[in-house]
Order: sequence, then structure tokens, then C-alpha cells
Amino acid sequence: MGLTVIKPFRTRSVLFTGALLWLTMVAPAQADEPGPERAKDLRYGWALYEYHQGNVFEALTQLAVAREQGGIEGHGDHPALVEGGLMLSWGMTREASKLFTELLGSDGAGSTLSPEVRNQAWFYLGKVFFLEGNRELAGENLERVDGEILAEANHDLFREWVYLRARVAMMSSRIEDVSKLTSLKEQLEDTDIWSLYLQYNSAVAALDAGDVATAEAELQTLIAIIQQSADSAEPEAEREGLLDRARLSLARLYLRDGRFDAALEILGDMPLNGVFADQALFDYAIAAAGQGRPDRALDALDTLSSRDLFLPWRQQVPFARAYVLEQMNKPQRALPAFRQAADLYQARIEELDIIRNRLTEESLMAQLDFTRDSDGILTDSYGRLRVQPSDFGIAEVLASETFQQALAELNELYQMQSFIAERQSRFESFRIMLETREQQRQVRIAETRRALESQQANQWQTLHEEFRETIATALAEEDAQFFMTAEQKALRDKLNEVEETLAGLPDDATTARQRETYRRMRAYFDWWIADDYGLNRWAAQKQLRELDREMQHFQAQRQRVETLMSDDGRHAELARRISASERELATLGQELAVALSNARRILLSQVDSMLVAQQEELNGYLVASRHAQARLADQLFRRSQNPGAGDE
Amino acid sequence: MATCLNSRFPALLAALTLALTAPAFAQSNPGEEKDETAVAEQVEALKKKVIRLNRDLFILEEDLLFPANTQVAVFLSVDAGKFLKLDAVKLKVDDEIVASHLYTERQAKALERGGMQRLYVGNLKTGAHQVTAFVEGIGPDQRPYKQAASLEFEKGTGTAALEVRVEDRSSDYQPSVSIVEWE
Repeated sequence: MGLTVIKPFRTRSVLFTGALLWLTMVAPAQADEPGPERAKDLRYGWALYEYHQGNVFEALTQLAVAREQGGIEGHGDHPALVEGGLMLSWGMTREASKLFTELLGSDGAGSTLSPEVRNQAWFYLGKVFFLEGNRELAGENLERVDGEILAEANHDLFREWVYLRARVAMMSSRIEDVSKLTSLKEQLEDTDIWSLYLQYNSAVAALDAGDVATAEAELQTLIAIIQQSADSAEPEAEREGLLDRARLSLARLYLRDGRFDAALEILGDMPLNGVFADQALFDYAIAAAGQGRPDRALDALDTLSSRDLFLPWRQQVPFARAYVLEQMNKPQRALPAFRQAADLYQARIEELDIIRNRLTEESLMAQLDFTRDSDGILTDSYGRLRVQPSDFGIAEVLASETFQQALAELNELYQMQSFIAERQSRFESFRIMLETREQQRQVRIAETRRALESQQANQWQTLHEEFRETIATALAEEDAQFFMTAEQKALRDKLNEVEETLAGLPDDATTARQRETYRRMRAYFDWWIADDYGLNRWAAQKQLRELDREMQHFQAQRQRVETLMSDDGRHAELARRISASERELATLGQELAVALSNARRILLSQVDSMLVAQQEELNGYLVASRHAQARLADQLFRRSQNPGAGDE
Repeated sequence: MATCLNSRFPALLAALTLALTAPAFAQSNPGEEKDETAVAEQVEALKKKVIRLNRDLFILEEDLLFPANTQVAVFLSVDAGKFLKLDAVKLKVDDEIVASHLYTERQAKALERGGMQRLYVGNLKTGAHQVTAFVEGIGPDQRPYKQAASLEFEKGTGTAALEVRVEDRSSDYQPSVSIVEWE
């Protein structure tokens, strides 16, 4: 509860997805590539629909599907930028960093994105790394931002960027960062809230370096600036909170140096309804006691004792109250006060023992009060869960960044576990789908077979073969008659008829003339047939070739249909994919179980460490209270042996 | 005893001021931090795998239920906001209602910001089909607004994609609804 570095982001509701939305929407005005107002790719439009609703997982899935199916066209680097933003929102900082670096390059060259968009990508990446405590990567990414462009595009972001770089410089031990810090501070107005936060954190840094005088001066300046800029447009609550924090910190510096008057003066200015009112009251009691005004100290401690909520730092109150009574030379009241304090510490130590022994994830969660909506637990812009302690004893550990991260990770792991359970239940449906698909295929095969049968394909094939053989024989025998045209065949039949008729007539002169005429006709016919043989043969062969082609085509089609009917490759491929996905899901489930166990262990170990620290501190107060009891009892006994020695 | 007591109160002060020197991020010991980083990396790797798996399952489900040669998808886009506040959309394919949707404010905003909703996905045989969309909302002058649009299209052997497009029409300050086919 001392002077610790302030992270103002926790109180500022910057909607991360909203910020990235601006990032993508502002681009078309300045960039060459088309913006995403109207999707030129359906899958991208779908991803944006999920993205703008904050459905990070669904949006990332759609982008992954689009990539798998050939990518997104017509939007340049925007899909990748959106994906990076989604990853940041979902805590995939390393992946996002990789993606942004690939997309923008370390210097941003080669990207089709506008400098404004690139700037914001680096800014958010740097900010997330800063929040994760990764100073190196935070600094690296923040340095890639072009300050001039950012200042012009979004001045609020620019101010925050200056603050973040200054904080990174503060944490650095390099000499050159000292001058850099000074130059960064000059870029912000003194009354700017970011400048005020910097001033406060600068005091912390000075104290870290053992420079108490500078820390004190920084805090005094900060208090003066906030008091003078009370009419600023910044939210008052934030400034008031910072002012109280600065006052409390300064008072504690005075207390440490034994400057009780100065501490009392500062603490006396603090409002009684402020966030730090209770801590100020306790410090006030210390200052009053130090100043030799135990009555005022007792009043403050009595007020604190009447508070219902138990906070770890308040465990010093019972001991301090008893001590002040003793200082006021009221051993009769001090003795029961120490006894009461000792009992309270004893009870609390035992209580903590029980809590530690029974500490499980369930018991821990029972002490946390999560804010939920219909979609589940609400989170802030950086994925931290919105949670309040139902037992204020764990408020301190809950407020720590590492605990918040571990809690968020545990929640994400549970979400993934529920995803796996849901997907596992789908595999049965997939198999039914596959089976149904196969049944439908079999029905279609049966229908096709019936249709093929009705075509009498085999009969046609036989006829074709017979025809081919007959032609081949005729060709071999050079059978000119075989290749006669229909007209020639009709004429031949007519001549045969005539020949038959002439054979039955009496042998007279008329018949002889007719037979002579017939012979001439026959001879002409035979010459004609012989003359046309080549032509007729070629016509027949041409017909045969065409028929061969048609039959080949018919056979090929039939073969293809048969292959399709017999080939279950697609079915096998789908079945293989189902099995592979099921195996992958099972593996993922196992990995998830391990990660869950680790996350759970870390979370519980953090709480346990906090409980151990509390117990140790309580034990110190318990021992001191017991000693005081013994001492006072001894003192009172001796006084009772010497009546008239004076009491109270 | 007295020494002990007297030293206790300064100890309180020391405890108070001890936190003054606590470094910004030193909230856990290095071993724990290493553990936490490992878990964070593990969680991130798992997330990546989960996305990949979800992608595969999504594609698998589509391949099983909506083969490419029969698949028809209808998307909705809203390039409006001035003249129409979207409430509901109903979709008919060949005189059968296949989708109807009521929009929350968040969904309507997501559409206005450039998102596209897949309103319907199904299977249709090759040949001619008719799609009709009915759009409802609050139109100009805060009056209830209803409009329908229809499209006859030829379903070929590939995937068919249609877009129901709701737009602001500045020529007559009215919203307009149309259906377009994506190539």
C-alpha cells in the first residue's frame, strides 16, 4: 500500500477492437488500396461481420478459412492487419507481433498500408507488450511509430505514445535514456493527465534510485499542478484520484523521515470520502502518535476499527490502537486492547490456515465475483476479466497484474476446453452426415445402373462388332457386291428378277432378243459395280470409322460412370479428414488439460504466497501483542503492589 | 520488553515505507515469472491450434453438408444507416422461407461497418431458381419500412453466391434493396 507505479490503463476504457476498427476504417482516405467499407470478398465481409461484433474467435476462424481457400482478394494488407488486431485482442501477442513484423517489415517499407495505419499497428503492439511487462519489445515497437504522423492523425494516441515511451525510458538503465526522458516529458503539457502520471512514476523511479529529495520534490510539484489545474477538461475523478495518491505518498515520505507535522498537514487536506481515505486515516494516526498527539491517533484508529471490510493492510489497526492506548498511559484499557488484538490475530492466523489447507480452484473462485453478460464473463479491452473480490482479503493479490493475467489465461483455457467438448460432440453428427451422403450416393448409383441397363449397351456393342467383322471379310474378299449402294442393290434385284423371268420363257426369237438385251444390261451393271467398288468401299469404311468413334465415346462415358460408381475416393477422403480432426482434437484436449493444470497451479500458488505473507505479518503482530500483554500485566501487577503510585 | 514495543511502532512505519521501493513489475519471484511466461506461451500456442482446428472442422462441415456443385450461399450487406435502421430480414428460395433474422443493435452496426452476414447456405439443383428477400426496419422520418427484392438466377455446377444489398439511395433519400449474383 505504498508508493507503487501507476498503470493508468486499468482505469481508462479504451476499447481495443474499437481502436483497431478506426485503424482500418481511416485507411482508405489516405491509402492507395481499397478500404473495407464494402467487402470485395464474401469471406472477408463475413470475417468483418464477426470482428465488428467482437467475436474474435469466429472472425479469426473465418480469416483462416479464407486463407485456406485461396485467400482474400481486393483488400490488400487489410485482412492481415485485422487479423493482427484480433490476435492482440485475444492475447496472442507473440503471433500478432510476428504477423505485424512480416506485414509491415521492421521499417514499414514494402507495405501497401498507409503510414497512419502502420503507426497504429506498432503503437498497439508496443502498448500490449508494455502491459505484459515486456519492456524490450514494447520499446522496440513503440520506436517504430512515426510521431509526427501520429500526432496529426490522432493526438490522444500521440500523448499516450509519449507517455509509454517515457515509461520504457524510465525503466531503462541506459544513460542516453535519461536525456530522452527529459525530451519526452517536454512534449507533453504540464497539466496533461499523461504528464501527471509520468510525474508520479518519476517520483517512484527516484525513490527506487534512493533519491528521496527528488521524489519529494516531484510529488510536491505534482500536487501543486493538479491543484492549480482543477478546471481542466480531463475527467475530475481521475485527477482527484491521482492527487490523493500523490498526497498519501508524500505523507509517507514525511512519516519515514519523522516529519510528522508535514505529514499531518498533507493528510489533513485529503477528503474523507476519497479512495484512499482509510489509508490516509491510518497514516494520520501514525503521524499524530509521532507528533505526541495520541488522542488524535486513537480517534483515527477507532474510526478505522469500526470499518466492516477486512483488508490485509488493516490488520495493523488493532495492534496500533492498543499501542496508542499504552502511549496514552492507559494500561487498564491497553491490556484488553492488546488481548483483543492478539485473539483477533490468532483467530485470523487459524482462519488463514484453514483457507490455505482448503485452497482449491473452486474455493478461490467462490471468493471472486465476476461480471457477466449473456456471452459469459466480461473482459476489459486487454482481455482481463471484470472481477471483484467477494472476500476483500484477496483484493491485493487480485489487483496484481500477474494474477489478473493468470486468471484471464485460466478463463481462456476453460473456454477452449468447452470448445473442444462442443466440437467432440459434433463428430457423431459428422459421421451421420457422411453415412447419409453415402446412402444418397448408393441410391443415385442404383438409378444410374437402371438407366444404363435400359440403354442395352451390350447389344449395341455386339452389333457393332459383327458389322465390323462383316466389312473386314468383304474387304478381304474384295466383295464389290457387299459395298453396293441401295440403288445398285435395287437394280441388282430387278435384274435377278428379269433373269428369272427370262429363264421361264420359251426359246423363240423374241425371247432371244430379250435375253441379249438382258446380257448387255447385266454386263453394264457388273462393269458399273466394279467401277464403283472403290468409291463404295471408301463410303462404307468412312461410316464404319464414324461408328467406331461414336462407340468409343459411348464406351468411355460408360466407363467413366462405372468408375464414378465404383470409386469411393471422396467418401474415403472425407472419412479420413473426420478421423484426423478427431485425433487432433483429442491431442489438443490433452495439451489443454496440462495447460489448465499449470495455470491452476500458478494461480493457487500466487494466492497461497499471499496468504503465507499475511500469516507471517499477522504472526509478527500476534507476538508483539502477546509481549505487550505480558508487559502490561506485569506493570499493572506491580502497580497494584504499590498503591498510590499513580495510574491513568 | 519496552525496547521491543518501542521498536514495533517504527516497524509499522518501515512496513509502510517498504513498499515505496518496490519495483514496478516485481510482483512475483523470477521462477514464478518464468512459469507464467511458459503458461502464457502455451496458451497462445493452444489458441493457434484451436483456430486451425476450427477452420478444418468448418470446411469439413461445409464439404459434408453443402458440396460445391450444389452449394448456394446468400449474404447480406448493409451500406445504409442514414435512411434505414435494419430490424429484420426474411429470405425465400423458390417460394420457401429458408431464413429469417432479427437484428440486435450490435449486429446491425457490424453490418453498417462493412461486415457481411451469411444469411443462408443450402443446396440447390442446377437450373433456374428464384430468390426473394424481405427487408424491414425504420426508414426515413422514423416510419416503419418494408421492401422486397427478387432475383431469378441460373444455378450452374459450381458454388453460387448471392448478395442481398441494402443501400442508402441519395437520389430520393430512400433505402434500396437489391440482390446481386457474385461471379
